[in-house]
Amino acid sequence: MPSDGQDYPNDADRLRRGAAQRFKEAELPLAKLWTYYYGIGGDLDEMSLDAYLHEALDIPAVQVTLVATAMAEMTEGDLL
Amino acid sequence: MTISGHSPDSSPGRPDETPDTETTLQEMVLESQDIAGFLTDLAVMAASRLSAPDNLVHCGVTVIRHKRPGTVASSDAKAHALDELQNGFGDGPCLAALRSRTPLLIPDLAGERRWKPYIRAAMAQGVASILAVPLDLAGEAEAVLNVYSGRSRGFSADDISTVEAFGGQAAGALRLVLRITQLSEARNDLATALQSRTVIDMAIGAIMAENRCSRDKAFSILTKASSTRNIKLREVAASVIASISGEKQIKTYFDE
Repeated sequence: MPSDGQDYPNDADRLRRGAAQRFKEAELPLAKLWTYYYGIGGDLDEMSLDAYLHEALDIPAVQVTLVATAMAEMTEGDLL
Repeated sequence: MTISGHSPDSSPGRPDETPDTETTLQEMVLESQDIAGFLTDLAVMAASRLSAPDNLVHCGVTVIRHKRPGTVASSDAKAHALDELQNGFGDGPCLAALRSRTPLLIPDLAGERRWKPYIRAAMAQGVASILAVPLDLAGEAEAVLNVYSGRSRGFSADDISTVEAFGGQAAGALRLVLRITQLSEARNDLATALQSRTVIDMAIGAIMAENRCSRDKAFSILTKASSTRNIKLREVAASVIASISGEKQIKTYFDE
């Protein structure tokens, strides 16, 4: 079992990989996603968002949640 | 059958067609409300330009953006049915032309061995020859102009270069329409985002005050409420504000 020190980074890795995967599958244009994410309070600029979605950057936990929320809310309509 | 090495020089010289096509296309761009409307105008115009008294053709345009299912527009119900048919099969001469970025001519459907189910269905619709010309949109999207004729060998070498020349002009107009649409979409998205962010920032401030917590903590409270109740973040934020002040309409002025 990982110690507490390793537990969190592993979770962040998992979330980041999941976000990258969902972004690829949803085929959302980056600019559209960024605008939506900005609209729900996101703080990252578009380039940092791009880097995060390509697993090239770690971002604060709140931003991780907001990116995930943006993707979920944007793709919600597609499923209906 | 693939056509290559066409001669674009042969058509711009035609005094009766070329300037007129340019002007008409320009007007269509200016008057277009959306992509679908423009494409329909384009298909209708292509059909009337490319039809001859003894060879009436039907035209369709298929556009693929962001790898999403394409927008399809047609000169008439028949061309529409033929385009939809092909998109339904997921393959056919027009989609092949689109993928290879080269014009594709089927002079006689009866002699064509590829795409059998589609060809059979098209023949049942009375189509005898098909010409598909991809439109070069410089990577902004992908589009193909499909021309259907009821005559076998319905397209002469001259016809083919006319369609290609028309396709070149249409591509320019289509790129403009796509760019205008994209810009106005981006503007609308941004206006929506500004409205939404005002409501969310206000709710975050309220939660911070109420819980004496950090902004990060307030965001996690708000996102948690949104995901557990399966309500959009913006709507949860609006209900937070409404519960405090009863205000339901928070407006952000955005200059058009």
